[in-house]
Amino acid sequence: MKDRKFGKEEVDVAVVGLGAAGSVLLCDLAEAGLRVVGIEAGPFWDPQNDFASDELHAKTLAWNDTRLSTGQDPLQLGSNNSGRGVGGGTVHFTGVFYRFHPSDFKVRTLDGVAEDWPISYADLEPFYAKIEQDIKVSGPREFPWGAFHGPYPYPEREPISGNAQVFRKGCEALGIKSTVAPLAILSAPYAGRPPCTNRGFCNQGCMPNAKFSTLIHHIPRALKAGAEVLSDCMATRILVNKGGLVTGVEFNHNGRNYQQKAKIVVLSAFVIETPRLLLNSACSQFPDGLANSSGLVGKYIMPHSGHDVYARFEEEIRLYKGTPVLAVSQDFYETDQSRGFVRGYSLNAHGSRPVGLARLAALNAGIWGKQLRELMLEWNHYARITLVGEVLPALSNCVTLSDEKDEYGLPRAQVSFSYGENDRKLIAHGIEKCKEILTAAGGQPALVIPDSAHLMGGCRMGNDPQTSVVNRFCQSHDIPNLYICDASVFVTSGGANPTETVMAIASRTAGHIASLA
Amino acid sequence: MESMYPGYNVLDLQDEWDPHTREIVNRRLGPFTFKLLSPWEQAMIKAVAEHLICDGREEILEWVAFHVDEQLAKPFGEAQRKPGVPPQKELVRRGLKTLDLWAKKHFSEAFLKLDASRQLQLISSFQQGSFHKDTGWETDVQKEFFKKVLGLVTEAYYSHPWVWSEIGYGGPAYPRGYVRIELGITDPWEPRRVGTNEGS
Repeated sequence: MKDRKFGKEEVDVAVVGLGAAGSVLLCDLAEAGLRVVGIEAGPFWDPQNDFASDELHAKTLAWNDTRLSTGQDPLQLGSNNSGRGVGGGTVHFTGVFYRFHPSDFKVRTLDGVAEDWPISYADLEPFYAKIEQDIKVSGPREFPWGAFHGPYPYPEREPISGNAQVFRKGCEALGIKSTVAPLAILSAPYAGRPPCTNRGFCNQGCMPNAKFSTLIHHIPRALKAGAEVLSDCMATRILVNKGGLVTGVEFNHNGRNYQQKAKIVVLSAFVIETPRLLLNSACSQFPDGLANSSGLVGKYIMPHSGHDVYARFEEEIRLYKGTPVLAVSQDFYETDQSRGFVRGYSLNAHGSRPVGLARLAALNAGIWGKQLRELMLEWNHYARITLVGEVLPALSNCVTLSDEKDEYGLPRAQVSFSYGENDRKLIAHGIEKCKEILTAAGGQPALVIPDSAHLMGGCRMGNDPQTSVVNRFCQSHDIPNLYICDASVFVTSGGANPTETVMAIASRTAGHIASLA
Repeated sequence: MESMYPGYNVLDLQDEWDPHTREIVNRRLGPFTFKLLSPWEQAMIKAVAEHLICDGREEILEWVAFHVDEQLAKPFGEAQRKPGVPPQKELVRRGLKTLDLWAKKHFSEAFLKLDASRQLQLISSFQQGSFHKDTGWETDVQKEFFKKVLGLVTEAYYSHPWVWSEIGYGGPAYPRGYVRIELGITDPWEPRRVGTNEGS
């Protein structure tokens, strides 16, 4: 590795993984004057030359390393819920930018299930506000749910797509509140970036840079403030000294191993790779893996249930046009005991493209051959709503190490997942609501495709070292100079797209680390 | 089962696409150089794919088989796999052989020589995983073979620009995006249904 900036010195902080969390940390810490290195397994993307208007090509943006996936409801990984390369999942996320609700942080207190978070909504509120302002989130003047009611920094998007119009029409007919989606996508120019052109390829990597990603926002700022970014560098081990403190990170670049010394290491490698790296870094001081005295590293992972409900309309909807999610409802977000389950969900009017629809119809709904061809020849007549359903944490849903090794000789992750009873009831309720909305809009419900989205948990935060992996500042209970800061620290999943909460936690942790320096 | 958008061809719009996307899409029209699959394996993939996508056009099947070849030959991972299921390269190649063995056992004929209905019958039984006693393959592994091939074939088929045209998909959209995204209106270059005059 030539031209290393901090190759020979001990930096203040090394961050592993430059996605939604790691890039925010790198940026905030560099701007606070710390010497920081970000270590990212994937490439340093150039949107203009690496991305394309093409679904198949976009598979390269995902973490495709093989994981063993098991349980009653084995998770689909890869592009379904992960990113690879600088920017991580923000490169191909839909840009839906929700805050969690205050109730999400005290589920045990309110609903008697799961656990409370060691932080409250009020702890994150300043960071939510800062990030929204920082990246100019566009959204409605009035947002009717949760604690934040707008206005958003940038005006809501208009026009909205046919699919979003149909959704809002159905909601209106049933007395369900809906709004234009809050989005990390520009509705007006900002910092040399144009407003959205409605090409609809958010999940394939935004080429005009109208959609926010940490690749185009936080990483350039981090570099300007003196951070070093190491791309195509796969972290293989966290190094620990005899005193039980971490001393740096071992990583592999082009088949060779290197070490980066650091006073503090932050793991931001997401829900599967963060636990895997902790477990694969087991040593004589920590034979069960780092930060794992509770035995909970890799435990309590959660996706969102993400079932898609399609209805056929006489008129053309054209799911491919416009930003995929332009209208939403959180009317079913909070617990309502009369429904027979706790917690709730968001509903996102959700556009689609041919490969996405056909592939999931085939794999998850068993539709193929003539039936699939007929469906696709009429696909312009379908509207879609996607559920973002809260999944309660369960100990048996976990990341462990398998017997299989990868190309670095490291055990592959095994991921086990099964829905619980509450999850299934919630899904059934959400599907029915979607059908009602689409019917009220004049459609004929036609197809439900089971799916999941996002990942959270695996290194949950808490005040008690026996029942959690990190404290309220994402510092590991066992090793004071090891932090874990990404979606893996989530205690519960909420019923909303998690990226804004991931970034708010990262910014809060960065502030904490900077205050120690 | 006919296109509602006859005469629409997304390839006519390619001067509006960025060069990277144009190159990627045009590669799907061939010619193809296979890296891994033997001619027999290619023929088997095409025969199976024809049932899965319900389309027998040779040019498209050639692309579909090439995509399968490319994915199986690549060195990196397959995102997820069930424990006990072989890696995708082995899974697909063994699956094709097993399918042929089966055809010979049940119908005394190579799979490629069977008529369409018998081929479909065998493919469907793989989907159910119902032949495990004959093949030495667990039910789960058979199903996984079916799903692996189905996923690869479906994603390839719906990435072919001829298919985009037929289903009325506007295709690549950069640098030009969409202006008219609301119900009932279309940009001038989008596919229009025959007999409608939407968006004008």
